[in-house]
Amino acid sequence: PKKVTITTLQNLYKNNEPITVLTAHDYPSGLFVEKTGIEICLVGDSLGMVALGRKSVNQTTIEEMLHHCRAVSRGAKNPFLVGDMPFGSYETSSKDALRNAIRYIKEGNMEAIKLEGGSEMARTIHQITSIGIPVLGHIGLTPQRQSSLGGFRVQGKTAKQAIKLLYDAKALQRAGCFAIVLEAIPGPVATYITEQLQIPTIGIGAGSGTSGQVLVQQDMLGIYDRFVPK
Amino acid sequence: MINVSCQTILNCTRNVTIRCANNFTCTSLKLMRFYSAIRTNTQTPKKVTITTLQNLYTNNEPITVLTAHDYPSGLFVEKTGIEICLVGDSLGMVALGRKSVNQTTIEEMLHHCRAVSRGAKNPFLVGDMPFGSYETSSKDALRNAIRYIKEGNMEAIKLEGGSEMARTIHQITSIGIPVLGHIGLTPQRQSSLGGFRVQGKTAKQAIKLLYDAKALQRAGCFAIVLEAIPGPVATYITEQLQIPTIGIGAGSGTSGQVLVQQDMLGIYDRFVPKFCKQYAKLDQLIIEAIEAYREEVKSRAFPAEEHSYPINDDELKTFLDIMKKEKE
Repeated sequence: PKKVTITTLQNLYKNNEPITVLTAHDYPSGLFVEKTGIEICLVGDSLGMVALGRKSVNQTTIEEMLHHCRAVSRGAKNPFLVGDMPFGSYETSSKDALRNAIRYIKEGNMEAIKLEGGSEMARTIHQITSIGIPVLGHIGLTPQRQSSLGGFRVQGKTAKQAIKLLYDAKALQRAGCFAIVLEAIPGPVATYITEQLQIPTIGIGAGSGTSGQVLVQQDMLGIYDRFVPK
Repeated sequence: MINVSCQTILNCTRNVTIRCANNFTCTSLKLMRFYSAIRTNTQTPKKVTITTLQNLYTNNEPITVLTAHDYPSGLFVEKTGIEICLVGDSLGMVALGRKSVNQTTIEEMLHHCRAVSRGAKNPFLVGDMPFGSYETSSKDALRNAIRYIKEGNMEAIKLEGGSEMARTIHQITSIGIPVLGHIGLTPQRQSSLGGFRVQGKTAKQAIKLLYDAKALQRAGCFAIVLEAIPGPVATYITEQLQIPTIGIGAGSGTSGQVLVQQDMLGIYDRFVPKFCKQYAKLDQLIIEAIEAYREEVKSRAFPAEEHSYPINDDELKTFLDIMKKEKE
């Protein structure tokens, strides 16, 4: 088994081979991602719910995320490590976002970060990528914003919403994202967006036409009790 | 006398059982008592308190203890009727992946205690104090123990050590924080013990252990963990005390048993101690499940239709038409 790098991911994308992504939140779950050859290990802020038992992800602090990132990094050595930035840690200003992104690399042992948002985050993302921290974008159903979206609802169901999503995806690509997570978007829309980009898309509830897939480990293993998304 | 099938009694809710007790004869009551000795999902689970533990001890019923380190693992302890849920500093190794428990900080422990408390509501919650958080002085220990109650949502604390910790433990118990003692193989001290080695193998060691156990009892411990001690020694110590002993690798003569959840479920990969029975080999199951996910993503078998969301045909057509126009 070889260390997965940005180059590995680019090669998979070029060869049209689906990229596999799975979340982890501690040492054993990181080790399972390691042992099964999953390419990207994402320390998702979903851990605020599935590991810490809160009712929402929005109370997750960056200190908690860094703690769990470190634990995962002790188990996952080969997968490409991406740390999720929690609500409130990147929206206030580009400088705040940059400072916190740096902490993920220095203190969290991560190799890249993920944050939610479309074109409104493009400037911030560009600042982060330009200093050499890879960024995984995330559009569609963005869980940190679910209260403004009216719940965990499918996005991109109308032509207008779909156009906005495409516009956001292109902005994220221009800002330097190495890939973009598309969450809870109708399959045909996700497939179309994927075809319009030159970077991979990682789908979750977005059909089989994306460049890769991601799931939350506790959900797919049947460990989380509250609800499992369709 | 009314003939009631065993299944009917098993399926009775608590209220119906009480009504049954008024109408049925002693025979039926005996049947109900037989079934209530086995924990089933039909029994309304009750909050476990110090009194519950004392009653179990008085009735010579073994006390069950299992560790947890986060919300799901806490929930599993909750759902299975285990009496005590211990947030052990073993999490430093089995959850956080370090090579030793001694780097675990109290902040980390409190974080994990809080997560566990969101899942484990009925079990009696005990939080482990990590190396360095209670040895420097009684005052330091007291301050940190208080944090477990205030910030960690725990109901009691555990700390390692024998008679040398008695004074500290007494100060903690005297302000109303129950303490679970821990002697024998004390993992935080394994470097001075020369490794994870069985304790109490010589008469001299066994005498010291008994002396320590009694000191802990006098200091107010509600129970004492005996780790990696020969069965006969642990049994003897148990008989000499008036508080329960919770064994781990100490034979079946203790008042209860404790295991580390990841060890007994086969999740931890580095080594499993001899005394830990693996009731499941979850790591193999998990690896197979994740490998299946990987295969299905590679072959695009996942996601299938049932995992995906549709879009109204008109909306899709409008979208694609607009896109086509933009390109021209």
